[in-house]
Amino acid sequence: MSCDMTRFLELDDVRYAYPGRGEVVLDVVRGVSLHIAPGDFHCLIGRSGCGKTTLLKLAAGLLQPHSGAIALQGVPVTGPNPDMGFVFQTPTLLDWLTVLDNVLLPIALHGKVQASQREKAMELLDQLGLKDMPSRYPPQLSGGQQSRVAIARALVNAPPMLFMDEPFASLDAITRSELQQDLLALCQSQGTSVLFITHDIAEAVYLADHVSVMQAGVLCHQLTVDLPHPRLPALRYTADFNARCAELRQAMDGST
Amino acid sequence: MRREHWVSVAMGVGFILLWEVWVRLGQPSALVLPAPSVIAQSLWQGLASGYLWPHILSSTRAVVLGLLLGGTVGFLGGIVLGESALWRGILMPYVVISQVVPKLALAPLFIVWFGFGTLPIVVMTALICFFPLLENTATSLQQVDPQRLELFRMLQASRWQTLWRLKVRTGLPSIMAGVRIAVVLAWVGAVVAEFIGASKGLGALIIAAQGSMDTPLMFAVLVLITVLGLVFYKFAESLERRLLRPHVVIQKKDEK
Repeated sequence: MSCDMTRFLELDDVRYAYPGRGEVVLDVVRGVSLHIAPGDFHCLIGRSGCGKTTLLKLAAGLLQPHSGAIALQGVPVTGPNPDMGFVFQTPTLLDWLTVLDNVLLPIALHGKVQASQREKAMELLDQLGLKDMPSRYPPQLSGGQQSRVAIARALVNAPPMLFMDEPFASLDAITRSELQQDLLALCQSQGTSVLFITHDIAEAVYLADHVSVMQAGVLCHQLTVDLPHPRLPALRYTADFNARCAELRQAMDGST
Repeated sequence: MRREHWVSVAMGVGFILLWEVWVRLGQPSALVLPAPSVIAQSLWQGLASGYLWPHILSSTRAVVLGLLLGGTVGFLGGIVLGESALWRGILMPYVVISQVVPKLALAPLFIVWFGFGTLPIVVMTALICFFPLLENTATSLQQVDPQRLELFRMLQASRWQTLWRLKVRTGLPSIMAGVRIAVVLAWVGAVVAEFIGASKGLGALIIAAQGSMDTPLMFAVLVLITVLGLVFYKFAESLERRLLRPHVVIQKKDEK
């Protein structure tokens, strides 16, 4: 269903190499093409060091590809732009700002915060279960709550495209599954397209409409997850779910 | 905490009492070691007669002006060196030389250049106290979490915003530690500069007291300088607490 729909985020034969020592060049991304449709939740899965974080940074404009093309809504990506949100591996909050000011940071950097924007931020915090904490400081929050603030900050401008780099990797299983559920609900209500990086197979199947497996700098397997929405935690224990996990696992093992 | 505090005070009082008793019993010459009571009397007389006040004012003014000059140069220089690897390469050797050169040996030269008066003392004070601030500012600007820098890039913050809202803010604890060191060094710089070339000020007064063999007055001035240094240090500490308030709140919470 994805290929014939309007292309929203397009990566075409993207290549990137980090300069190594002397003559050696480390090819990290070696010709990746990836198309994401509007409202699509796309997971990119792979082992550590396979180049998935580099690919995400390329897509977000934080790195420039050596060859190939990247476009968002038909416009070439030359750097970060306001249509993108980014959630990092760690929450990366500013400790000296309150939770609310952290969420409003993307707006505050580009002008005065309007009352309506403040309301919108409060609404987001409410949806993420942080209603009572707008005036706390990040170090006073738990790890899960900090991740929620980071998500609220990425979504405060309602960007059509959201990039996430293993945002839940350091959380415990229960907190993680709660966050996955809330994230899905939020992105669906806002119609956000997501490119989500993870090394957790179950996480990818639970969240994604499409999963790409990345191995040694190339995409080696694609899977469409046609499980029904809304996805409830009980889905994790069904045979359908496990069959897809097994397929992905095989794809990751098979290509080594 | 409170208990240690009292022990600490008791130790100081005990030391002074012992000193008093030892001087009264042993009767060393008042030229070598006057009793604390004699020093207190000299101090009181000086303050009550108004003899000491112009000197206190003169030294305090030199320290404040020197701190402002050295602090401004140190902070701005630290920002330039911290932000630009090019300027760091060009200027750092000279900064180091300016600190390795025996600064006190420059005092006679300053008198030749700037004449007798406040100016050479202010310059000497500034020269001594700009370095810790410069060093701490430059270092702290380079130690910002790379992920936070990426966040600011993702949010399309200007270079200026990244500097003020991220780098300087993150470096504030370390910059304020530099200020505290500078405040202590400023008094050393001013007093020593006054030793060499001033007719006014607490340093000059020590030299004058030495000339007239008034050892109790020398001790009295020493006490004054110590108290003034403490007052300045406490002021810097409270400024730091005020600026770092959110951090302080968090630390207190963690201690519980």
